[in-house]
Amino acid sequence: MKKDEHYSEEQLNAFVDGELDPEEKSRLYNESERSPDLDHRLCRQRKIKDLVQHAYKDVPPPSRSGGKPLTRTGFLGRMIAAGFLIAIGLSAGILAHQYLDQRQISAGPVTATAALPVQEIDKYLLHIVSGEPEQMLAALEYATHLLESAGSGEVRQVEIVANERGLDLLRSDITPYATEIAALQQNNVVFYACSRTIQRLEEKGVTVQLVPLTNPNYTALDRVVTRMQQGWKYEKI
Amino acid sequence: MARSMILGINQRRTFRKLLGNSRSRLYRMAYAWTHNPHLADDLVQQTLCKALSSQKQLKDPGAAEAWLFRILSNCLKDYYRAKREVLSAEELVIVDNRTPEHESEEQQLVRKVRRAVRKLPLPQCQVITLVDLEGFTYATVAEVLEIPVGTVMSRLCRGRRSLREFLTDIRPQPESVRTAKLIGIK
Repeated sequence: MKKDEHYSEEQLNAFVDGELDPEEKSRLYNESERSPDLDHRLCRQRKIKDLVQHAYKDVPPPSRSGGKPLTRTGFLGRMIAAGFLIAIGLSAGILAHQYLDQRQISAGPVTATAALPVQEIDKYLLHIVSGEPEQMLAALEYATHLLESAGSGEVRQVEIVANERGLDLLRSDITPYATEIAALQQNNVVFYACSRTIQRLEEKGVTVQLVPLTNPNYTALDRVVTRMQQGWKYEKI
Repeated sequence: MARSMILGINQRRTFRKLLGNSRSRLYRMAYAWTHNPHLADDLVQQTLCKALSSQKQLKDPGAAEAWLFRILSNCLKDYYRAKREVLSAEELVIVDNRTPEHESEEQQLVRKVRRAVRKLPLPQCQVITLVDLEGFTYATVAEVLEIPVGTVMSRLCRGRRSLREFLTDIRPQPESVRTAKLIGIK
């Protein structure tokens, strides 16, 4: 019997993937009924597809307490963290200490998060540096998404740290999102305003007023490095 | 004004819902591309974040899924660009630390197929998984990966051919030599 080599592998794939139009599909189907060789080739293609589908039917969820992530949270994150650590090392005692412990810590959310069991919580630190309202909104929406998409029995802890132009998000006289921030705070999202950015603004004569319950006691660098060392997932927006 | 604000809120809510619904599928795809659960999780996180910060770029809500997978693909590209090397075997072992003695036949089959998929060059792996796992049309895959449809077809062809070769030992054999491994395959 003549082999059905006149049907290319691309055509057979297209048949298996439902890419042929009905007429072509019928023709190939009818021909496969008559030709065991063509039928075998089609089965072979379909089997590969089925095997791939079967192999990824259930994929392992990421371990929440186990190994280290590898991308921004891990690989890039480690690079960022290393840079931050150097920066902090160089400037230790110059700026950060002036502001640490000077301001009152808003105890509510911080205390609440500290009481949660560490092993079973997904922890995210979002870092906003942009003063663009769209980027600010994206950060707030991502925080909302993280909270909303947590599965049953899954606990997520989210913190947002703002510095540079991103501090505008937390300045009560400037932010367009005070309501959204308050709503997230009610869901235990903690907001940090970078103490160094505040200091710089105040040195320029700007009076910085923060939205209620914002924690102004850390530099952004400090928060990022600390949280990453504690295994938090980090995302810069 | 109030109406447009409400519309905006609703759209954002719908968008967040879409992201929530897509998360597990994005994760499965990221896992199939990397075979590393942590990396896959990070990629999904970045994808969702980028999607939220650039949601205004999405003009056609009907194309949202392809758009999300395109972001995922770009996140992976960025990752490799930053790392400038393929994941080492050591990293990939994270998900592969079971021994055959403790696995069911079904698990062995899954592992074997995943190992075969992992051997594929990433472009072929991406095309195959987008078509087979997501059921995307060739045109959508072309859109996701930003390549011509012809390239999708040729990569699919080469990829499936390679998979066939990698999986020769689970090809149906004559009854007399058929092993128990084949029982699970329909």
